[in-house]
Amino acid sequence: MKRYLRLLRIFFRTELQYELEYRLNLVLEIVQGIVVTGTSVGAILVLFSYTTVLNGWDLGAMLVLLGCFYLVQGFGELVLQPSFEKFMEHVRLGTLDFALLKPVSAQFLVTLRNFQVVQLAQMGLGAIVVVVGLSRIPNIGFAEAVGFPIALVCGFALIYALLLALSTFAFWFVRVDNLMALYWSFMDAGRFPVDVYPGWLRVTLSSAVPIGIAVTVPAKVIAGRLDPLGLGFLILGTIAAFVLASWFWRLGLRSYTGASA
Amino acid sequence: MIRIYRALLVAQIQAASQYRVQSILWMLFAVIRPVIFLAAWVAVARSQGGQIGAYDVRDFAAYYICLSLVINLVTSWNAYEFEFEVRMGRFSPKLLRPLHPIHYSVVENVVWKLTTIIPLGIILVFLALTFDARFRTTPAHILLFVPSVVLAAALSFLSSWVLATLAFWTTRVHAITTLWDRAGFIFAGQIAPLALLPGPLQAISLALPFGYVLGVPAEILRGGVSVSTALVLMGGQVFWVVVFYVALQRVWSVGVRQYSAVGA
Amino acid sequence: MMHSRAPVNAVIMPRMTEAVVDVRELRKTFRVSEREEGLGATLRSFVSRHRKDVNAVAGITFRIEAGEVVGFLGPNGAGKTTTLKMLSGLLHPTAGEARVLEYVPWRRENAYLKSMTLLMGNRTQLVWDIPAADSFRVLQEIYRIPEEQFRATVKELTELLELGELVHKPVRNLSLGERMKVEFAAGLIHSPRVAFLDEPTIGLDISMQSRIRRFVAEYNRRNGATILLTSHYMDDVVALCKRVIVIHRGRLLYDGPLADLAERMAPYKIITATLHDGAASSADLDAYGTVVSREEGRVTIRVDRHVAPERTARLVNDLGDRLADISVEDPPIEEVIDRVFTSEQTTVSA
Repeated sequence: MKRYLRLLRIFFRTELQYELEYRLNLVLEIVQGIVVTGTSVGAILVLFSYTTVLNGWDLGAMLVLLGCFYLVQGFGELVLQPSFEKFMEHVRLGTLDFALLKPVSAQFLVTLRNFQVVQLAQMGLGAIVVVVGLSRIPNIGFAEAVGFPIALVCGFALIYALLLALSTFAFWFVRVDNLMALYWSFMDAGRFPVDVYPGWLRVTLSSAVPIGIAVTVPAKVIAGRLDPLGLGFLILGTIAAFVLASWFWRLGLRSYTGASA
Repeated sequence: MIRIYRALLVAQIQAASQYRVQSILWMLFAVIRPVIFLAAWVAVARSQGGQIGAYDVRDFAAYYICLSLVINLVTSWNAYEFEFEVRMGRFSPKLLRPLHPIHYSVVENVVWKLTTIIPLGIILVFLALTFDARFRTTPAHILLFVPSVVLAAALSFLSSWVLATLAFWTTRVHAITTLWDRAGFIFAGQIAPLALLPGPLQAISLALPFGYVLGVPAEILRGGVSVSTALVLMGGQVFWVVVFYVALQRVWSVGVRQYSAVGA
Repeated sequence: MMHSRAPVNAVIMPRMTEAVVDVRELRKTFRVSEREEGLGATLRSFVSRHRKDVNAVAGITFRIEAGEVVGFLGPNGAGKTTTLKMLSGLLHPTAGEARVLEYVPWRRENAYLKSMTLLMGNRTQLVWDIPAADSFRVLQEIYRIPEEQFRATVKELTELLELGELVHKPVRNLSLGERMKVEFAAGLIHSPRVAFLDEPTIGLDISMQSRIRRFVAEYNRRNGATILLTSHYMDDVVALCKRVIVIHRGRLLYDGPLADLAERMAPYKIITATLHDGAASSADLDAYGTVVSREEGRVTIRVDRHVAPERTARLVNDLGDRLADISVEDPPIEEVIDRVFTSEQTTVSA
């Protein structure tokens, strides 16, 4: 475990060094992040100029939710998107072999290998929006403060599991960019609580593409609206999704190396 | 010119058939965001007893369905590709051809729209039924919508090309286009119908080109504005199309000179 | 202990104590699915697929001793890369056994992965945008190489490969040859005891090829690493390998000293006679053997191996003063190999 953290650190550091060489780029990306986050907050303010509460969410809770959205999305773009894109490229070019020959878990080496460090800024902006939202919520208890990071980590893990499962198809079909693009297009729906959506979309967003859960549940926890039982289910569901996705990945890997069939 | 276009069209239709999956995905992009904001506005309207300004839940549904159709018909995205080509130095061969590169782009966009219109139509009908949309469209609105959406498409196309042409000078066009897109997100009628934007935002939206690209044709199609208002708004569209047409001509000729002087 | 059945053409190797690579009846059958591109076709093929079986490796057996450099030869599609992939643990065999350093490769135990390397000439493991030195650091962490050993290895590889400042430039700025040198360093940074080299000199210019060759030879000499190498360039094999294994269509054709390959596989010699008076073009030499070429007073004649001395003597005798020079040689190795493959094809199809 310690070793894997060390590895993560070194992966991250190499990428950081590289990106620091393009400072102007870094600054521009951060400016873009501010613009994107700012306009999203603006959109919510426009909605709340007509109401004080949206499906039971007041402005503070909505901002927390939007912040969680950018935290989860930022995490996805920080490490998952670049790593999974690289993974598919490796499958296409046949360079995945090198990752499989290393004395480290191949799943780790493939799925957490590449970083887009600048996305940390996006996560930071998300965190700021969360804090701003929290400042409007009167009393946050100890349970919420503990539950929130747990729920957020579950959110990250859910997105990880989903992307892992989707990209595993690359072992059989090589070109799966389209599946991934589909996922990213659904991602945008996370900016509102999942319960505002009509039935079919809500089901999609909370099961097939669990972006709704990954974003809504942490926001609910901190806004003091989720019972311990719900959080328990989230944790169990996340573990199940993670185990299932990892199992599917190993299945894909076995087929790739010809261990099965 | 017509013959050239016909040849390009045939070639492009053949190419497009190979990208069916991609085009359906791109089409989903045009649908998903309107549905997201539709759902949000429905929630807001319900919390206020079902009515926000002149819009009730069914009006919102109609507006966002029209918006989705307009996004699909109006948005042109291959100017980004041009920027990429210039940055990678792959653009030079295209300058050597006897046809302005913009024509390829026009044809590509037209074909893309033709190929996505039917599946999109099916999705939109489904949405209209789910949300029980109410259209106030009259035949006059339909008659006005056609030129309006063409103007909007021209405006969107020309403006994206003006932005892309900046690639002749800077490799950081991406940052500028993000800014532009986000301005469109706020002002073009995506986060709210133009009529519901708070006063200053609405003023900006109609003073700048953004509102004329999506919000105006969507409202005309929905029948949300009177015929006389529609004509005034279309006047605004014509104005901005002319502005961007002139701008593109200027920027392009200076840009190409710049590009060939630097060499790539 | 079961003794492996030696293939027809193989020299039976004396059994030594330690075999680094021990392969028995290794076999790999691929199920190839025929499918169109695209998501639609992909989803359809989920349901039903056209499949056919391809025997990439059809049961091969060989042993490699510690410190050997063995050339692994065969035309495209012979099964070389598939074999290397099985030996490096990337592919599970359909049948048969293999032990490398006493490990079963496809179990991919960390201890095994740490003591071997696979280098592919046409694929890169280095990260494109960052200098190789940074990739080396990542590899150090992955292989858990102690700092001191890491420094020593990098120093040695830098010296042997003449890397100089190359490791500090982003990989994308390197030429193909420079990249390959850096690639070698990355692949050997953990001082593996076994190295599988798949076409390590492909696409490189002549001088870079010979530099890589010198490096491999020197590396083998210094570290005693066992090396199995495939190459399309016979020069690589001639320069590096005393022993070669030839496979074709997944079967082993020859396993033995490179020097004996010609003798076994090409039962003829080449006599080259240079004549003084330019009469070469007219002289009737068909009686001595098959005339392969005539040019500028030089005649090349192919003769059966066992009659070569007698024919040469006759030629010297008959031509007398007109003969300026004469030589008797084995045919070029490329020609031998080529002949092996083409003749094999004819026997298979016959």
